[in-house]
Amino acid sequence: MQVRTGPFLRDAVTIEQVMGDVLIALIPTVVAGVLLYGRHTLMVVVLSTLSAVLTEAILTRAPLTPKGIFGDGSAAVTGLLLGLILPHTTPYWVPIFGSFFAIALVKLAFGGLGYNIFNPALAARAMLLLAFTSEMIYLTDAVTGATPLWGTARFSWSLFWGNVHGIIGETSVIAILLGAAYLFYKRHINWRIPVSCLGSAFILALVWGLDPWHTITAGGLMFAAFFMATDMVTSPVTPVGEIVFGAGCGMLTFMIRQYTPFPEGVTFAILIMNAMTPAIDSLTIPPVFGVGASYKTRIRGFAVTAGVVIVLLGALVGIERNEPAIRPLISNGHYLPMHELLRDPDYDVVEVDETRYYVVRDEEGDPLQAAFIAERNGFNGPISFLLLLDAEHQIERVSVLKQGENPGFGELITRSSFLSQFVGMDKDSPFSVGEDIQLISGATVSSRAVISGVERALQHFDQAFFGVDGPGILNDGTFVGETASFGGPLEVEVVVEGGRISSVTVLRHSDTPGFSDPAISGVPERIVAANSAQVDAVSGATLTSEAIMSAVQAALESTSVGQGDELELDPEVRDTSDGTSVANAPFEITVGDGTHRGRAQGFGGELVLDVTVTGARITDIVVVESSETPFIADAAFKKLLPAIIEAQGPVETVSGASVTSGAIHGALRDALNMKEGQ
Amino acid sequence: MNRLIQRTFPRGGNREVPDHKEATEGKPIRSLSAPSIVVIPMLQHIGAPCEPVVGVGDKVKMGQPLGKNQAFVCAPIHSSVSGEVIAVEDRPLATGRRALAVVIRNDGNDDMVKFETGDLDKMSPDVIRQKVKAAGIVGMGGAGFPAHIKLNPPKPVDTILINGAECEPYLTCDHRLMVERAPQVVGGLLAIMKATGASRGIIGIEENKPDAIMQMQDATQDQDHLSVAVLKVKYPQGAEKQLIKAILDKEVPSGCLPADVGCVVSNVHTAIAIHEAVIHGKPCYERVVTVSGGSVVDPRNVSVRIGTPIQTLLDFCGGLLGEPAALICGGPMTGPPILDVYGPVVKTLSGISALNHEEAGFDVNRPCIRCARCVKACPAGLTPNLLGDYSNRGMIDQVIRLRAQDCIECGLCSYVCPSKRALVTWIKKGKADLAALRAKERELGVSACK
Repeated sequence: MQVRTGPFLRDAVTIEQVMGDVLIALIPTVVAGVLLYGRHTLMVVVLSTLSAVLTEAILTRAPLTPKGIFGDGSAAVTGLLLGLILPHTTPYWVPIFGSFFAIALVKLAFGGLGYNIFNPALAARAMLLLAFTSEMIYLTDAVTGATPLWGTARFSWSLFWGNVHGIIGETSVIAILLGAAYLFYKRHINWRIPVSCLGSAFILALVWGLDPWHTITAGGLMFAAFFMATDMVTSPVTPVGEIVFGAGCGMLTFMIRQYTPFPEGVTFAILIMNAMTPAIDSLTIPPVFGVGASYKTRIRGFAVTAGVVIVLLGALVGIERNEPAIRPLISNGHYLPMHELLRDPDYDVVEVDETRYYVVRDEEGDPLQAAFIAERNGFNGPISFLLLLDAEHQIERVSVLKQGENPGFGELITRSSFLSQFVGMDKDSPFSVGEDIQLISGATVSSRAVISGVERALQHFDQAFFGVDGPGILNDGTFVGETASFGGPLEVEVVVEGGRISSVTVLRHSDTPGFSDPAISGVPERIVAANSAQVDAVSGATLTSEAIMSAVQAALESTSVGQGDELELDPEVRDTSDGTSVANAPFEITVGDGTHRGRAQGFGGELVLDVTVTGARITDIVVVESSETPFIADAAFKKLLPAIIEAQGPVETVSGASVTSGAIHGALRDALNMKEGQ
Repeated sequence: MNRLIQRTFPRGGNREVPDHKEATEGKPIRSLSAPSIVVIPMLQHIGAPCEPVVGVGDKVKMGQPLGKNQAFVCAPIHSSVSGEVIAVEDRPLATGRRALAVVIRNDGNDDMVKFETGDLDKMSPDVIRQKVKAAGIVGMGGAGFPAHIKLNPPKPVDTILINGAECEPYLTCDHRLMVERAPQVVGGLLAIMKATGASRGIIGIEENKPDAIMQMQDATQDQDHLSVAVLKVKYPQGAEKQLIKAILDKEVPSGCLPADVGCVVSNVHTAIAIHEAVIHGKPCYERVVTVSGGSVVDPRNVSVRIGTPIQTLLDFCGGLLGEPAALICGGPMTGPPILDVYGPVVKTLSGISALNHEEAGFDVNRPCIRCARCVKACPAGLTPNLLGDYSNRGMIDQVIRLRAQDCIECGLCSYVCPSKRALVTWIKKGKADLAALRAKERELGVSACK
């Protein structure tokens, strides 16, 4: 008989059973995810699980049997966990690649089961978050989604059952708790890590004045506390260590949510604590029977706990204190509910020009606080953002909801350090770049888009609720307004009937024929349709469009002061139109008719333009040679050249391509034989 | 007053280790007649081996001393049969070790030496200790520590605990003895109390032995200074320090004896042996052994002479059903495997467990998944996952830091491990390494403390 050592009785539990029980415990969250998000979700979790199992089977050269390929089940657990912490909209390659990364590089490369330092699923998620940000962050329009459905007071219950969009497995608290209860029942997890993790976040939320229940139920904290932080391999084994570990996870999660742009703090929190696990274990060796908790041991345990708390709190305090003034609106892929934003459950929903405004009204029905979503084209497409105005209609908060800007650069617009600059501004603020608002270097296009978007959104809000000139109704009659356009004075006639603008006619203008025609015919129609002087400009004739709007504005201003059809110009109006549209005087064309070639040093090399002059006017500009950065410079060429022809002079540079814009102006001056700076 | 409050030790332990006692706990003890040849090893206890005092060809009587030693820690060995010494030689023990043994051919007459009876009331503590020493009583729960030394504690004690927890799965010999010989247990307890000067005696019994609890309560009813403590079932409650913690809520400091917290613990069987030695003058030449396990045809408790081959005992119980998966001296949690079934029964053999393939579990040594079940289970408060690994790798400094010497070798860490790692085996190795290091340090005069 083979010599074996005791004990000869063994508990029936095996690794397979532990892993199998974890898989069973995850079933409720999978079911909840599929019910909430549909079959795509099922595909995501199935793909991630299969990919993990196959990666392990192939790399460990498992025998070709179902059991061999399934192995001890730990790969399936990793894969399923990873699938559950992906957004439900994620493309199919993300779970496959993520699981491969988790198994091959985070688990097997460290020695396989039991030897990995980091939780493989979380490490893979961290990698995916950093490398494929846009695939990993799914932000939904919560304003139109969850809030109306669930009213105001029951928001946290909707979190509980799972009606808030986000990550597959993190949505339904009840499903998470069901699975956790099963693991408790099977005694694969104990209370220490989940309770200390959720408890520390809860306490910090109380200290910081947030809703603690929301803090622990929203986002991934609940799921992670029960299924990620409790991962046996990467968490401490000692009882005190488990509490230190859990508390660290909760505190770091809270910090990351509060002070960094990452929407999901718990991933990085647990990974950081994973790295600290061996040290925690080593410092919290429990007192041995008969040795008791000696003075030294007790002091050391106390010192470890206190040290962790002090370090974490110190880091909290050390982080720029001006940042918390504006907290991220989106916590963990979920939005704060509308009634919390507006601090009043009694709000109206008003739709004006396809924008939905959520407005709290005072007793007289005038709007106080308001929130709404606006959109503006950025570098890679529309950037939508939520504006929250206080009772004075000053900006209280700006949060970018959806954006496709380049990871690492354009996406910096989501940072609170940028967005907090808007706080306190209102529609009358100048929004001058570089003074009131600093651009983000490397993300000028994106940040300019946000700035102009916010400015326009404020104006739209103003028009929607206060009309053109306050809450008064327009007086009926016919009014004439004039403004200075770039070609000379521009005069319009505005007819108001029944308090609405019924027609707008351009009486006189000196703008470039041909270029300005679309504006002359199009803008009045838009003004009548919108019953507002502020409408979208006709592309290719922006300057003329804006001049018409100013003139109409001037005409309407004269109605409210009851000055009838006086032709005198309001000096303020002229200032406004001058200040915003035409930056400089037109070029002095001294060269004769014909095509003139001009050169200037651009961003990537020499820029060569052919400028055609006919009758002392620029009629065409052709780019002959350009080494500018594609895409970025394209915008400059596309926007700038027509604008220059329309204005017959220098125009504002295109954001994000300021060097190229400068080069275009330089080449123009060169072609027209003008001196620099003229 | 009898104590009926159920209690247990607070830290670690496992309440779900299956006790498997149902096969033997209801069956009365049967006697196995002496075999034709007995092999009586000269080392059946902790301490110095005995020197044989008989030679080949000598006629010996039952109860006659065969071996003695003047060393402090030693217990004499007696003949379990009458007959002729046919050999004094090295013989294999059941555990695979070898020891000098006296081999006697049984003449079947059972001629006994004359035993000196006595009256406990008239004995002084010294007389009691001498009688116990002369009878060669050792700890019969398995430890084998000479009882007369235990009866002379270095510090004054006030409490004697009789260990009737019998937490080891399969074993029921203490259980049956408490049911069948309760007055003798009490007699032994009183003798120990008298020898040590203790004023109270407590018999600790786990609640899965209600008949034993009843019998012991009946036996202690008239005596106010004796009581029965009913304990919740929890492995390893029979471990000395855990029992003290459970009953008295006192923690014996590491490296100290129960006397340091004012008590002495004795096994049920030892108490009976002490009683017999003191009152009847009977030396320790027989004992009750549990033969149990799924491979045994007729599992039961057997009263058997020391020196009987284990195979004879197994045959008495109907033999084995095929090859057992594990054949163990004592219980499966702490017992060593039986390597030689012709090895003799010794004083410390409390049972023979023959486990079939469904019951037995073995080391698989899959990777540790750090589930911490062993840490939570360890009654000594150790971290077996780390300690086992360090011991296995011979990292002696870590073995010292994690206090391998405090391991009580209950085997619970290996039991609960989902990866079936040989934790307790490794820790035993670490303990041995540590003990060797300490011995060397003493030899070289280096301080033993770091």
